[in-house]
Amino acid sequence: MGLSLDAVSKSYGAQQVLAPTTLQVADGEFMTILGPSGSGKTTILRLVGGFTRPTSGRIGFGDADITGMPAHQRPFNTVFQDYALFPHMTVAANIGYGLMVRRQTKPAIAAKVGQTAEIVGLGGLLDRFPSQLSGGQKQRVALARAIVCEPKLILLDEPLAALDAELRRQMQFFLKSLQRQIATTFLFVTHDQEEAITMSDRIVVMSAGRIEQVGTPKDIYYAPRTQFVAGFFGDNNLIPGHVTGNGMVTTALGTMPIPAETDRRERDVMLAIRPEKVLLGAAGSGSHQVSCRIDDVTFIGAITQLRLRPAAAPDQVLTVKLTSDRTRLGLESGTVVSASLAPGDIALVEVS
Amino acid sequence: MVSLPERIILFMLVAAGPFLLIVVPIGAFLAMSFFRMENQQIVHDLSLANYAAFFSSWTYVKTLLLTLWLCAEVTLIGLLIGYPIAYFIWRRSGRIRTILLLLFVLPLFMSYIVKIFTMRSILGLNGFLNQILVAVGILSEPSQVFLYNQNAILFTMAVIFLPFVILPIYLSLERIPRSLVQASADLGADIGTTFWHVILPLSAPGTIAGALFAFVLALGDFITPQMVGGANGFTFGRVIWSQFGLAYNWPFGAALGTVLLAVALLAIVLGGLAAQRQKV
Amino acid sequence: MPSRAERITDILLAILAGLVFIVLYAPLLISTLFSIVEVKRGQIQWETATLVWYGRLWENQSILDAIRSTLAVGVISVTLAAVLAVILALYVEWEGAIGRRLIELVVYLPFLLPPIVTGLALLVFFSGLGLDRNLLTVTIGHTIFVLAVLYRLVLTRLQTLPKSLVEASADLGASRWQTLRHVLWPHLRSAIATGAILAFTLSFDETLITVFLAGDQMTLPLRLWAMMRVGFTAEINALVTIVLVISIGLTILVGMRLQSDEVREE
Repeated sequence: MGLSLDAVSKSYGAQQVLAPTTLQVADGEFMTILGPSGSGKTTILRLVGGFTRPTSGRIGFGDADITGMPAHQRPFNTVFQDYALFPHMTVAANIGYGLMVRRQTKPAIAAKVGQTAEIVGLGGLLDRFPSQLSGGQKQRVALARAIVCEPKLILLDEPLAALDAELRRQMQFFLKSLQRQIATTFLFVTHDQEEAITMSDRIVVMSAGRIEQVGTPKDIYYAPRTQFVAGFFGDNNLIPGHVTGNGMVTTALGTMPIPAETDRRERDVMLAIRPEKVLLGAAGSGSHQVSCRIDDVTFIGAITQLRLRPAAAPDQVLTVKLTSDRTRLGLESGTVVSASLAPGDIALVEVS
Repeated sequence: MVSLPERIILFMLVAAGPFLLIVVPIGAFLAMSFFRMENQQIVHDLSLANYAAFFSSWTYVKTLLLTLWLCAEVTLIGLLIGYPIAYFIWRRSGRIRTILLLLFVLPLFMSYIVKIFTMRSILGLNGFLNQILVAVGILSEPSQVFLYNQNAILFTMAVIFLPFVILPIYLSLERIPRSLVQASADLGADIGTTFWHVILPLSAPGTIAGALFAFVLALGDFITPQMVGGANGFTFGRVIWSQFGLAYNWPFGAALGTVLLAVALLAIVLGGLAAQRQKV
Repeated sequence: MPSRAERITDILLAILAGLVFIVLYAPLLISTLFSIVEVKRGQIQWETATLVWYGRLWENQSILDAIRSTLAVGVISVTLAAVLAVILALYVEWEGAIGRRLIELVVYLPFLLPPIVTGLALLVFFSGLGLDRNLLTVTIGHTIFVLAVLYRLVLTRLQTLPKSLVEASADLGASRWQTLRHVLWPHLRSAIATGAILAFTLSFDETLITVFLAGDQMTLPLRLWAMMRVGFTAEINALVTIVLVISIGLTILVGMRLQSDEVREE
């Protein structure tokens, strides 16, 4: 059930913008497609919306094959990046457009438009024209227009990109609560990692026309499976290693056990560990101890960031983030400390 | 996606009207130039006889050459007067600029026939020009030298086609960013230097377009020569016109028309190339 | 501060512009003057001033017929050209279109070529089809002549429409027709109107093509031509004044509409 993409690809002439891609979106899910520009995320959205046809593959919704179905017949609605509000229509006419083309009666349209405007907080602006609205208000009109027909799926193409930071945070929260309220599947496209992590049930990370990883925000953050994903979300320590086959991985920082439930085949990998997961001093049982010299200490407000150089591998830098403390004694450049890496906090990243 | 056969069918549906009413007539016209007349009947035998007749007759070739010379003069006068006026309009600002532009473009849409007859009444024996010259005392009696000769055609065409020159020149001047002109002045160039090295080259595409308009329009005009040129004002357009009228030799007229068409296309292509070189 | 050289240049240019202005507007000035007063031996007879000639026009059947023909040809050809222009512009902007450049070349051709060639080509074409020359052939000639203007204006306007608006309409369930009616048409409407006025102005004055296609029918420019060959009368001057005022009025209307479009774009 839900939306399914089965080996869907898109090429323009010889240039492939989307490699064959398979993806399932469950009903009621808030799914985010995240990637830098040119990663193919908008292509997926346009294929699902029916604005372009795939070069190969099949798009299904429920039991139906909708690969060749034109956009106006699909039970999906889109919130466009530039909002795409009709400039010659009032807010009410914009919101009611989908109902009007479905030939609903005027009173029915007016009632439904009023209801929807209340949901998105646009009451009182119904007679304005788009040119008289602020960016945030336009955004809400675009949203209302998309939800008024009660689509099975709502597509959102970087809808928050044009808003300033404060408004953006408000809208993130609003979108998430709206999605719960109307219990509709959201397919959300963005290039903003923080946005993806705070809003999504699941995230699809894309790069260069391919899916890198699909998973919950926590999966993506703590257990990246590719180097791209490991480097895409904030700071990460990446340490080259080699899996030896007996459940151990050897690195310049020594040999340690690999995380449970990972592939035990012998191969080169990268170890990834978040800076806030590197602990100093007293180690928990089973943690791997590394003796390091502090290279640099930076106070960044809520956290303090350290750069460590392991004694065994001076070329490798370990970044550590600690909760700041008014008097953290002894943490000065040149001090030798012991860093500990817990197996549960280490992710094995495949080297391509 | 729409399949290729469907796209071809759609193309043919959409293009049918323009092709039937534009391409086919021009094709029929070109075909006509290869036919011949016999006993007041058009005979549908293909031959180059009409073209041979044209190129072997010095009278026709000379008329073409004189017409080309006339058109070149019209174009030159158009540029010499039109450019300064376009520049003058461009140098104004705000409402004055808009109003001036409108005033100098408006005559473009004034009745063509009326313009010709007005020129005729100005230049004629009892016309304005003679009356003024006699009144001022330059002439002792009205003169016939102003009308019914090549100069009358030249003067009339220059006046009629001038707005066609002004408009494209103005439009290309308008496209020059003011900042470029200011930058040139800022770098110490006086107005003359700025004009020769910045404004004139950047407005070349519009100047060429304006020149082409004047040239092609003058080339095909057959009413002006007839009305103000009289018996002395024979131009190529008029010769073609007569083949479709009194002389009644359509195939020969079509061949002459094809020569005219070729000259016009050559001018357009040369102008296009010159404009392109300017862009680089 | 403008330099001395600049000021002198400007003054010279202003004088030139003034002289050219007088020459360009001579037709309007002269015909208006002579439609109201008489001139005898180079002297304007102010005491003869009268508007009676304007009234006489409405009693002249041949002029009324010509005016009627011109209006009919103008309205029908502009309507046909507008419909054709919208279809062509929509097609050329459609992503699956083939032969775009070819279509554009053909549409612009009658506007680029010397009118005598366009007129003669249609003359040969119609006689080949065995069609008699009358107002119908004139209408077809005007349609293809003004098509370029309408096409250009409609296409330019269409290109300013964000593609996402069309997609949004389809996304919200509108069929192609509904999108055309509710999104494209409101956007194109004013450009079509501007183009139609401009095209009508061109059709109203068209002579060089018309003369080949009219047969024994008369449009207003042809009627004027025939009348003027005989000689100028106050009646002709009155008619000319009316014709010029209509052309000028329509052109100013187009200019104002284009100007307000520009302001809106900004």
